[in-house]
Amino acid sequence: MPKRINKALLVYVLFAVILLVVPTFVGGDAYLLNKFSRYLALGILAVALSLSWGYGGILNLGQGVTFGIGAYGIAMYLKLAASASNPGGLPDFMGWNNVSSLPWFWQPFHHLSFALLAGIGIPVLVAIVLGWFMFRARIVGVFVAIITLAMLVVTNLLFIDQQRYTGGFNGMTNLAILKVGPVSLDPYSLTFYYFASGLLIVILLAGFYIVNSKFGLVLRAIKENPDRVRFLGYDVAIYQTVAFAISGAMAAAAGMLYAMVLQFASPTFMGVALSLSVVIWCAVGGRDSLLAAAIGAILVNALQGTLSNQFLDTAQLLLGAVFVLVVLFLPRGLAGISEVFARKAKRSAPAVVAGAQATGRLKPEAPDRKPGKHAEVR
Amino acid sequence: MMTALLELNNVSVSFYGFKAVQELSLSVKDGELRCLLGANGAGKSTTLDLICGKTKSTGGDIRFKGENITDLPEYRRARLGIGRKFQVPTVFKDLTVTENLEVARSKRCGVWQTLRRSGVRMDARVEEVATVVGLQDRMTAKAGHLSHGETQWLEIAMLLMQDSKLLLMDEPTAGMTMGETAKTSEILNGLKGRHTLIVVEHDMSFVREIAEKITVMHQGALLAEGTIAEVASNEQVRAAYLGSGGFGHA
Repeated sequence: MPKRINKALLVYVLFAVILLVVPTFVGGDAYLLNKFSRYLALGILAVALSLSWGYGGILNLGQGVTFGIGAYGIAMYLKLAASASNPGGLPDFMGWNNVSSLPWFWQPFHHLSFALLAGIGIPVLVAIVLGWFMFRARIVGVFVAIITLAMLVVTNLLFIDQQRYTGGFNGMTNLAILKVGPVSLDPYSLTFYYFASGLLIVILLAGFYIVNSKFGLVLRAIKENPDRVRFLGYDVAIYQTVAFAISGAMAAAAGMLYAMVLQFASPTFMGVALSLSVVIWCAVGGRDSLLAAAIGAILVNALQGTLSNQFLDTAQLLLGAVFVLVVLFLPRGLAGISEVFARKAKRSAPAVVAGAQATGRLKPEAPDRKPGKHAEVR
Repeated sequence: MMTALLELNNVSVSFYGFKAVQELSLSVKDGELRCLLGANGAGKSTTLDLICGKTKSTGGDIRFKGENITDLPEYRRARLGIGRKFQVPTVFKDLTVTENLEVARSKRCGVWQTLRRSGVRMDARVEEVATVVGLQDRMTAKAGHLSHGETQWLEIAMLLMQDSKLLLMDEPTAGMTMGETAKTSEILNGLKGRHTLIVVEHDMSFVREIAEKITVMHQGALLAEGTIAEVASNEQVRAAYLGSGGFGHA
């Protein structure tokens, strides 16, 4: 069975190679490279959901919480970098809102290392606290979805409400370009595209390691039957919380990348629409595979972009039709296509084999003997 | 003299006023194989639920290895060495046989420990256990594709992987053929001594194969305890079972 893992890893490597050769076909079109980088950031977000939902059974409808906090974390640093020439180094929106000096919690965001740490650390902390309360109380299924969705709405409102510190509805615009040493990460450059691909590949590989570890195996067991896992001695709440937090860290990284690509951070990052879209991307790609989820996100967004250019408002309708078709005919997403082909191949194989497998799946063998209700003591 | 591994002292549980188990006291020695008998609704499965923590008792206390486990959650009890096989075989249907066995190997069950391990390990132990229950050729099959008998075997194999001190088995031979039942009694007999077993069973020929001591329950309370011969000749047992068509139809 390591063979199976090697095969899967080969597909990941193939995907990485494709990502890296894409620019040679784009021919250095800055606009396209930026668009692709945006899709890759959203791909990371889908990987995060696939880990918690596809493997852990935790349907997180509030991915925007960790995604958004990550985005705002890096945006605060980039905003300060862009505001250096303003009076007092104050971001423009603070001036408009009569804030006279930089608030204390903005101060440490002058340092990139702190911004990165906070951008990942705070979302992870939020995920741990929320996860701990939910999973200790053994909340499962649709209730997790409702709680995370409510958490999303609250966070969204909070960021809009604190206009003096967050830029409110407008968020933070006109962010600086991130410079790390001599490297400038201009979102319309080849360098940035490679940076985004690299991040997606690293996160995919990390995810691949996790889901193929015994931790990932226990997670899949928990998804199927948490009670049975408890009777084996595992502390299910800790497993779910850790999975939730790792997923949160990935989403936060996606948020950072997204803010850098778009050069702004806005409350729409924490909007209900985006977080629900992630669920659709995962469903289209196939939530049982991290890679399929990433591909689903990239394809759906690319499709969305192309369709809205061609058909304007009708695009939403067409996209809806695509989702309906996928849900109807590919319940396991695009990743299920290979299975459909495998089934067809089996059907054309000798009927005896196919028949045996079909019955084996439909009903268990009839027991040869009733449970010993009629045994007697003599 | 052997010490008691498990002790139930006046344990009761009621569901919305219905007393499923009433003031049950039970003492199981280390290495013993105890059979739990009784008619439907006598509280046998509920007793196992109380021991493994699936159900919280509403009175009395439960001691395992001398430690009071009455208020421990089920996963802590499992870590102390209490394993459970359910009446309806409960395996992970989406996982393969190998994966089911790997999940059941839960001696190192911390997050850091499992993150450092591979999820698919075919080692001597997995192969040995699979061979014992005859699933060695089905290792890559999904558990959901197994037949009923194979599913029963898989859950028994999972208990072997878990390697708990105390094994709680709820009708391990339900739905098995004569041959399979014989093999099960062979396995259970092999576990005696090293493990302590509590087995709920209806099949009296099977009980005769394996049991040393029998506890008979009736309407949530203890009715009789002793060897097969003692229990079978017990007047109270006979009286209790006459109403339901005799002991034989338990």
